[in-house]
Amino acid sequence: MLSNMLLGRYIPGNSFIHQMDPRAKIISVLFFMVIVFFANHWLGYLLLILFMLSVIKIAQINIFFLFNGLKLLFFILIFTFLLHIFFTRGGTTLFEWGFIQIDSEGVITGIYITIRLVMLLIITTILTLTTSPIELTDAIENLGAPLKKIKVPMHELAMMISISLRFIPTLMDETEKIIKAQSARGSTFMTGKLKSRVNALIPIFIPLFISAFKRAEEMAVAMEVRGYKGEEGRTSYRELKWGLKDTSAIVIIILFGVMLFLVRM
Amino acid sequence: MIEINNLTYQYQVDAAKVLDNVSLSFKSGDWVSIIGHNGSGKSTLVKIMMGILEDYEGEILINGNKLTKENIANYREKFAIVFQNPDNQFVGATVEDDVAFGLENQGVAREEMVEKTEAALTAVNMLSYRRHAPARLSGGQKQRVAIAGALAMAPDVLILDEATSMLDPEGRKDILNILEDIHRERQTTLIYITHDLSEIEKSDYAVIMKDGEVLNRGSIEHIFSDTDTLIKSRLVLPYQMQISRALLKGEYVTHGELVEKL
Repeated sequence: MLSNMLLGRYIPGNSFIHQMDPRAKIISVLFFMVIVFFANHWLGYLLLILFMLSVIKIAQINIFFLFNGLKLLFFILIFTFLLHIFFTRGGTTLFEWGFIQIDSEGVITGIYITIRLVMLLIITTILTLTTSPIELTDAIENLGAPLKKIKVPMHELAMMISISLRFIPTLMDETEKIIKAQSARGSTFMTGKLKSRVNALIPIFIPLFISAFKRAEEMAVAMEVRGYKGEEGRTSYRELKWGLKDTSAIVIIILFGVMLFLVRM
Repeated sequence: MIEINNLTYQYQVDAAKVLDNVSLSFKSGDWVSIIGHNGSGKSTLVKIMMGILEDYEGEILINGNKLTKENIANYREKFAIVFQNPDNQFVGATVEDDVAFGLENQGVAREEMVEKTEAALTAVNMLSYRRHAPARLSGGQKQRVAIAGALAMAPDVLILDEATSMLDPEGRKDILNILEDIHRERQTTLIYITHDLSEIEKSDYAVIMKDGEVLNRGSIEHIFSDTDTLIKSRLVLPYQMQISRALLKGEYVTHGELVEKL
């Protein structure tokens, strides 16, 4: 189950999006996050969905694989949808029972907000699926360079993010191993009352934390003996190259934003 | 030339000494094996040499200069170490990124870095995997990448701290062959830490440790000829030595008896 999770995973490829400069990808994602809020009726949301489907196609990612990987986050979407259904008032009342009231405005807003969240989840997942952690780190550090002037430790932050992302699959694999080991000794995690299920998680988290701390310590020693002492005097193996395709991608996103703004009602 | 004089170390004040008055010297260009069972102090010794552990008694001299907190950073550029578990050493997302990590820290120019990275990956036969994610490699391949990461820094001394203990026999043989090539072609000093006596045959010099003390040292012939010390160090004798000892004793006249006893 955990191995299907896509958060923090990178899938190597040669698509247009894979080849883009990571800085252009981050800027595009930031623009898209703003643009999503321009949509305020069905036509805008339809355009958003079509745009997203095109991006998935261009990134050469299997849509079923993408949704399967996001399954674990569906509960957030359902929770958001239900929150709007029960608490947003307006329009005609569709259902009423005791203190529970569902209005048409609540259903419509629920659907729209859920679409926005799905768009945000998909675009950020595409960013990590098509960009290696080290490229992401380089881009974050590069884009955040002006912040160094006000003593924000951008290099250290970028390195921390990079190592965290690198360890996500390792810790996922480790969690699965611990679950299997504990299951083999009779622990059950999926059955029983909520309290017993929560208690059953303790034998998973304790060995996982111990192992993570041990790994962190060994990693720190390995970095130190390889001469890591922060940003000072450091050069970079990777080169960031901004090309025509990167400018084009940003122009397309801006034009799409303008279009969404124009169809607002 | 590395000289270790009267080195004593304990992890806590009231704890037992992990190293007790250890004195050793290694010649440049030698392949030195340090052998001992778990807890014999061999890993602690190299951790002190790398400046990972401090507050020890005694001294370490490198080419006549005493190792101190102030100059350890300079020596780290000349020393490289490969640990037991390669998974906890990888910083880079791809093989080449990881191999280049040490060079980035040294501030090497990009063009030179590319050359050195390629040369190091070629030396361990991993150039074709340069764009692979380290996590997706086999145990032996991971360890070869870790060795390439150390080699890229062109160290004078390469330390391998039980670097083959997680590998299968084929993987171990592969790593030992690669080390032999590196030792021959680059004249790098190798300090090879192990608890497996069958891995020290290619060394020029070996040190047997037990409970923080040096039990024996010398050429491989000398180490293997002193079987009593090997037994005292609680190391498992290589299979051929066990047979030889049994035959010398002459107690087992039939094949069945010999096999049963062994």
